[in-house]
Amino acid sequence: MPEPSSAARRVFVTGIGLVSPHGGDPAQVFARLCCGESAIRKIRSGSAEFGSDVLMARAEFDPAGVIAKPQLVFMDRVAQMAALAAHRALEAAGLLGADLSAAGVHLGCGLGGSQTIEDSYQQYFVRRTRKMKPTIVPMVMPNAAAGHISMRHGVKGETLTYSIACSSSAVAIGEAFHRIRTGRLERQIAGGTEALLNDGSVVAWEALTVLAKEHPDGAQASCRPFSKDRTGLVLGEGAAILILESEAALSARGAKPLAEVIGYGLSSDAHNLTQPSADGQARALNAALKDAGVAREDVGYVNAHATATPAGDKIEIEALKRTFGAHAARLAVSSTKSMHGHLLGAAGALEFAITVLALANRRIPPTANLGVPDPECDLDCVPNQGRDAPNLRVAASNSFAFGGSNAVLVARAVE
Amino acid sequence: MSSFDFIRKLLIEKFDVKPEVIRPEATLADLGIDSLSVVEIVFDVSDHFGIDIPDERLKFNTLGEVVAVVDEFVSAKGA
Repeated sequence: MPEPSSAARRVFVTGIGLVSPHGGDPAQVFARLCCGESAIRKIRSGSAEFGSDVLMARAEFDPAGVIAKPQLVFMDRVAQMAALAAHRALEAAGLLGADLSAAGVHLGCGLGGSQTIEDSYQQYFVRRTRKMKPTIVPMVMPNAAAGHISMRHGVKGETLTYSIACSSSAVAIGEAFHRIRTGRLERQIAGGTEALLNDGSVVAWEALTVLAKEHPDGAQASCRPFSKDRTGLVLGEGAAILILESEAALSARGAKPLAEVIGYGLSSDAHNLTQPSADGQARALNAALKDAGVAREDVGYVNAHATATPAGDKIEIEALKRTFGAHAARLAVSSTKSMHGHLLGAAGALEFAITVLALANRRIPPTANLGVPDPECDLDCVPNQGRDAPNLRVAASNSFAFGGSNAVLVARAVE
Repeated sequence: MSSFDFIRKLLIEKFDVKPEVIRPEATLADLGIDSLSVVEIVFDVSDHFGIDIPDERLKFNTLGEVVAVVDEFVSAKGA
């Protein structure tokens, strides 16, 4: 892929589609986030024998009217969410039914059809059926969701899926963005999807001992990024899809953009499979700012990766300080995971969508449940209530994955 | 429930097929059922009736042919 030239084309976000713990309407989702409203609940999980109450942020959705019943039979929850979010994004962009044959689909997904894996293994190993359902392979494969989007909308340019744990969908958006900027494509359907709140996956995450404990104030207050008493992350699920278009494509049809995508930076920690590294994160941040061609002082808001693990949040704060220097003290940094949980493969896309909405609304969403901050998380972490930011011009969204793959996206407000 | 009734119910509830077109002589293509959907239906039927139809028998043109093969294995099991 060629390096962006001086004649690099500008790329805009023209639509957002969501299936999220806060619902499907981006304006409502953003409003609820700005009020500090958490969608985290305690839900009974597991078998009658081994069940437990698990904190999670479920995304309720109804595919009726968008996905036909016979198609649902072949779609895991993860693909249903993605297809619904893509439909909503195209509708918001005014591109539903448009000729998308030259467009691309770039999707991030961590685990693929997790519910189908669980159901089929239950059937085969526990119920001892002699065969497995024939639809399992096309339902489990992680690229199924992207394939469904491509088929549903006649997207024939390229259909790619990235599985990079918690950076999956940030990378999907970044790669889609670069392909438009360098002139390979005019339009992209880019984002992420994840649906692994089933028993087997949840128990596996519990075993990692990174999940939050229930807070005395209630389940909804349990995810506490940057807080002194944070205990861990809360799993979420959902899909977030953005429509990216070249300046030429959007002006040809007179569409109004939400924000401009201007930077994408990557780095690898080469350090530890699950422990983050401030050095690796700072390198991704610097790469993204360089790619965006903006000064660090231009950045007004960072949607942090901060999952609320004791170790992770302070390392990210350290990376932000190293990257932004004296400007770090003037930066607004919030973790919306405090309210929607960690969507893993869809996290980068949902959080970049929120970052775009922050730029479009000139309003910064808060970090919920932030009473007494960790002394090592001593930046402006926007506690509990969103705030107006009339001068907000540039914002970034961080995604840092298990495996040491870091991805940062940068966007600019449309004047 | 007979195998025809069971498949009829599946077609209506899971595959959104209109009840009035479900007749034994209807081709699977007429019903909008592709090859993967057929295998899915046969799986559900086999699971329900506790039968095991070998893959080489899974070649059908009409709904009646599906029912005939299922009935053959159901009666063989009962024998």
